[in-house]
Amino acid sequence: MILAKNITLTYDNKRNIIENGNFHIKEKDFIFITGSSGSGKSTLLKSFYGELPIKKGELYVNKIDLSKKNNSKLLTLRKNLGIVFQDYKLIAEYTIEENIMLPLELHNYDSKVSTNQVKNLLKHVQLSHRVGAYPAELSGGEQQRVAMARALAHNPSLILADEPTGNLDEYSANVIWKLLKDANQHLGITVVVVTHTIPNNFGINYRRFNIDDGVVYEAS
Amino acid sequence: MKHLKSFFSFTIPLIIMLVTFSIYLLINKVVDNYKSNITNDYSIMVIANTPIGTLDTISGIKVKDVKILKKEKIIKDVKKNLSESSLKLLKTKLPYFYQVYLEEFPTTFKLEQIKKELTSIPNVKRVETFSSDHNKIYSLLILIQDIIIVLFAIVLLLSIFLLSQQIKIWFFEQSERITIIQLHGGSLLYSSKPIIKVMIISTISSIIIVSLFLFFTINNIAILIRPEILPLIPNMTDLQYDIIKIAILACIIPLITFFGLLVQHKLK
Repeated sequence: MILAKNITLTYDNKRNIIENGNFHIKEKDFIFITGSSGSGKSTLLKSFYGELPIKKGELYVNKIDLSKKNNSKLLTLRKNLGIVFQDYKLIAEYTIEENIMLPLELHNYDSKVSTNQVKNLLKHVQLSHRVGAYPAELSGGEQQRVAMARALAHNPSLILADEPTGNLDEYSANVIWKLLKDANQHLGITVVVVTHTIPNNFGINYRRFNIDDGVVYEAS
Repeated sequence: MKHLKSFFSFTIPLIIMLVTFSIYLLINKVVDNYKSNITNDYSIMVIANTPIGTLDTISGIKVKDVKILKKEKIIKDVKKNLSESSLKLLKTKLPYFYQVYLEEFPTTFKLEQIKKELTSIPNVKRVETFSSDHNKIYSLLILIQDIIIVLFAIVLLLSIFLLSQQIKIWFFEQSERITIIQLHGGSLLYSSKPIIKVMIISTISSIIIVSLFLFFTINNIAILIRPEILPLIPNMTDLQYDIIKIAILACIIPLITFFGLLVQHKLK
């Protein structure tokens, strides 16, 4: 699923954030990427969806080599990912249904199928009662649930989540963790989550990669 | 409200550009019509001692027709005042008179060249171009035509500038939406769908408005212009070709502007 061979990541070619990273994330894995603030957790995640170029080494995500610049392959990769951001990144001008529909539209789903899928997802994230609302009308927790629904809409094989509970209260955070666990356990989706802290009694098997001083290692 | 603002921001420069273009087309028709009228009326007189032979082109202008004036007709006009012997002498000494008709009306510069070329033919005694009156009006029309071209070019550049500014503002306003769509694998072209829609509606609207303007102007030309200019206006039956030209311009300019900016945005 994700294979890194000696990858080095940098910002503006000045300071190496990650150096010679080697790891392998397999299908159906649930991965936590942890580390202190500024350690490069989000930077590493960004490199998984091609937002940050690889300075050195090779990085394969869904068999696409991200160390080689190829815009059309990058768009194909992103289309098949589910991404959840700390700041939700919902489109303010779109209703929540339109936001969830975005990946379906990009995959040219039939409008009838899309409408049904969105309806089911809204039910799944417990937001059926907010149909027609715009993101600004929702709380942070609700917005993140919409973002989760959007990430799940097109049945991706991989979900990347960058501190998905960072801005949420405990209740909302637990809802998001449950949704991510369900996606991994029941839908077989590989999940990679960047987080400061792993919730207690998480309840499923997971692997943890820690970043310390630019070095990525698998922690027990 | 936002969509309405975008719609007007695209439609107004397009309408101004297309109206200028239709005025340019109209002036062109008037000038072409006048050119063909004066070309039909206009001829160059060539007087030669011997026949001048065939003329196909002079100074790059095709010769439409060469008419020879019959000596008998010229003699007939002066017959009354001359004796029989003088008439005999005149008949033998009278040179050949030719009227040369051209395919197009020459400019003053071309006329000078034509005169030189004709004078250089052996035995040509005199060349008369009779051009001064024709040339004055013709030069004035050419001047108007050139002014309209310059005016149209300025309006075209201004319209492209206004359209590009509007697209840039849209890209700036929508940068967050574009980023989110791109993060989900949507291309820049896909994320530009709303602006493309507005541009298509603006283009269609401006084509309809300007076509109606052109149709109204031509059908009411007698009311809109001074009666003394009216004879200059040709019979405009091929309006559909002008509308096609207007439609092509209305489609091409926003398309080029948009894709130019799209490439620029992509490179950034």
